[in-house]
Amino acid sequence: MTPRDWEAGVSRRRFLTGLGVAAGAAAASGYGLTVWRRDPATSAGGDRLASGDLAAGNGRTLVVVEMGGGNDGLSTVVPLDDGTYHDLRPTLAVTDPIDLDGHVGLNPKLPKLAERFAAGQVAVVEGIGYPEPDLSHFGSFDIWWSARGGSGNAGWLGKYLDGTVGFDDPLAAISIGPGPSRALLGEQSFATSIADASGLQPRLPDWVDDRDGLLAAWAGFAPASVDAATLVERVERAIGLTGTARTDLDRALGERPGGDGGAAEEEATEQEAMAGQGRYGDRTVVDSLALAAQLVTSDAKPRVVYISGIGDFDTHQGQATRHPVLMEQLDTGIEQFFAALGDDEDVMLMTVSEFGRRPAENGSGTDHGTANVHFVAGAKVLGGRYGTPPDLHTLDRGGNLEHHVDFRAMYATALDWLGVESRPVLGDDFEALPVFRP
Amino acid sequence: MVSEREKVAHVVRRLSMGVHPDRLDALADTDAAIAAALDLTAPPAPPLELPVPTDYRNQRTGEIATAIGWWAGQMATSSRLVEERLVWFWHDHFATSIVKVRVPYLMYQQQLTIREHATGNFADLLRAISRDPAMLFYLDGITNQAQQVNENFGRECMELFTLGIGGGYTQEDVVEASRAFSGWIVNVPGRRFTRDDVPLWSAYFVPRRHDAGEKTLLGTTGNLDMDGALDVILGQPATGRFVASKLYRELVGVEPDDRTAARLGDAFASNYAILPLVEAIVGEAAFTDDTAVRAKARTPVEKLVGLVQAVPGAGAAGEGADRGRRNRQLSPLGQALRTMGYIPFVPPNVGGFPAGESLLGPHQLVHTFDLLAAVPTAPDAALTDDVDTLFARFGLFDVSDRSRDVVAGERDPGRRVALVFTSPEFAAI
Repeated sequence: MTPRDWEAGVSRRRFLTGLGVAAGAAAASGYGLTVWRRDPATSAGGDRLASGDLAAGNGRTLVVVEMGGGNDGLSTVVPLDDGTYHDLRPTLAVTDPIDLDGHVGLNPKLPKLAERFAAGQVAVVEGIGYPEPDLSHFGSFDIWWSARGGSGNAGWLGKYLDGTVGFDDPLAAISIGPGPSRALLGEQSFATSIADASGLQPRLPDWVDDRDGLLAAWAGFAPASVDAATLVERVERAIGLTGTARTDLDRALGERPGGDGGAAEEEATEQEAMAGQGRYGDRTVVDSLALAAQLVTSDAKPRVVYISGIGDFDTHQGQATRHPVLMEQLDTGIEQFFAALGDDEDVMLMTVSEFGRRPAENGSGTDHGTANVHFVAGAKVLGGRYGTPPDLHTLDRGGNLEHHVDFRAMYATALDWLGVESRPVLGDDFEALPVFRP
Repeated sequence: MVSEREKVAHVVRRLSMGVHPDRLDALADTDAAIAAALDLTAPPAPPLELPVPTDYRNQRTGEIATAIGWWAGQMATSSRLVEERLVWFWHDHFATSIVKVRVPYLMYQQQLTIREHATGNFADLLRAISRDPAMLFYLDGITNQAQQVNENFGRECMELFTLGIGGGYTQEDVVEASRAFSGWIVNVPGRRFTRDDVPLWSAYFVPRRHDAGEKTLLGTTGNLDMDGALDVILGQPATGRFVASKLYRELVGVEPDDRTAARLGDAFASNYAILPLVEAIVGEAAFTDDTAVRAKARTPVEKLVGLVQAVPGAGAAGEGADRGRRNRQLSPLGQALRTMGYIPFVPPNVGGFPAGESLLGPHQLVHTFDLLAAVPTAPDAALTDDVDTLFARFGLFDVSDRSRDVVAGERDPGRRVALVFTSPEFAAI
């Protein structure tokens, strides 16, 4: 079915009615995408969603942690009963993993995540990938960010935003990182991107004495209604939205002393820069998840938080020293995040990465690989292992792992969590993983 | 209907990184603007004298601020307008980041290499970048050797630098090209293998690290080395079309149709001369069409250059970016660029800097104000008294009544400058 058929053939009312029914069924069964898919009204093409096409918010939040560069799954979730692992990784095999179930162990720098697994709140999903893997960061990120659903530049969560809030709510999804993630880039929506706790507050020079007055005047550039046909008109519309978003975000992140370079802030910047070894633009996942927790516990609780730019997982060399640091940060970040949520159970955290790394090491690191392991964590998660463990004996021609779970099944799971149908976003049917408690 | 003044400004915006308002005033029409932008008769600026580091450890990545300041100064003041546009374009194309390279000196050497070839020949530029020390660090060429092929450069070379995604190569071609590229390393000082007969920090070829076996790349079989492989890649029509289309998007602001891409690309691939390709693109009707005007989102770097040119006394402030004895602390201006994810020499990844709609989100719009840090003291009232003159200093001539009213409604010179700088019109280019 082409997008045109979809637009012509499905009336919005019928579509929404179908969703209402499906949502009821989903609530009853805990997860229920199979129910939704049987409804013919919802078998639609992948792109051009408009605001309101998908279900309204359900009070839940999805937090995505992107491990950019390609995290080494085999050093994250370690096979315990396959000697081949040590043959392939003579210098880089993780020797002291935390045993999860006698078959796999977590990286020793993930002790708190292991405890959370033991408490039944972490799903370990193995064998995630996609057919005909692209081994370039950009090719593979392109696939992960877009979910390959339909045409255009939009990201999978951007399409979700297109179909839910449209341009009306730039705080429905917040990207934490050096800039907006392409996963959140929609054709008919904005996601807000913040780098740190200053949120959407400009840092003005001393000679601007009246920040509020200036920003109030600036808001005047936005007309009451915009056509948005030209680029300049799209800027005008964005200015209008920014005003509201700024105020809301400010409230969510709490009062700060101006955010314009106080002594404490300078100190923090310096420490951060030092800790990052001069990695401009990179923050650790600990900082980013702390910020995410602030947002999630605020009045402006976003539907989606997307964390990126948290370190370089592209460990072609120096993996033995670089990867443990990244794991330690991930462990601390996730633990502190859930601790900060208190009793809010409506939050799901999911990790992504553009690919795994090659099973055979290259001497000091590992090259780009394919299938990978990821985590889904949260109070409503039904802990355990899902998917298919990596088979180190049947590698592809490039010496890489076969995949068994399409990455879009992860996305379908996430969209399910957010209470929307996944097919219009992903462009095809993908079975959500049964990772939630009934 | 776009006015003639706006169109002159449009031509200059696209063919430079910005031009001083007085210089813009002197351009009578679009033909004069094109001629001025493409004029390379003025001598290039003398390079920075950077000390040669004596050790790989103890690098101060913050020292890149000196090179950023120098470069921003070139963008704002050079008379060789199209050269500055192309230097930026090639930095974005062959994106390399100090974050991984860690040696500011090498980033600056790469900048000089790009400058040398920016308006010259793409084949020469590609050959130079392929053995450029910063690039050898950035895409792991230094670890690429026989028996232990590292595919990082080989893949990005085809995907991002030459053929493009869908350019007709396979994973096998990536491996074969990578084998051909193997054997180049950098003469790092203070190491066991440091050589006396090679200048410090320059790249050199080590035959025993090179995979000298037969390779088959894109259908050509032979004992290919780096230049041999690059010749095969340059011989593919996809390379000419991919690079020409990208430059077309840079200058015109929209995608070329397939016929235009093939026509421009095939002509380009006949000799890879860059300036004639620029001239051909500029000669397309689409370049000066009304719909091309303000069709692109202005990048943070372009905004900064425009600000520095518009406001007397403003500086791109490379100096002072480096305060703090540990050399890690950015100036307010550096912080502004960092927040926007847009620091020269620090592209977010090898795919280059963000572009398009992602530059229009609330985050980018709010932090555009941060760039006002380039203006050290309150602007002079004489600059801001007349609203139209103030817009014109920012190269804006066709301005909506609403935008004009917003600026006219403020009396304070500082707020007037801040508002023109953050106006919807200035956000486009």
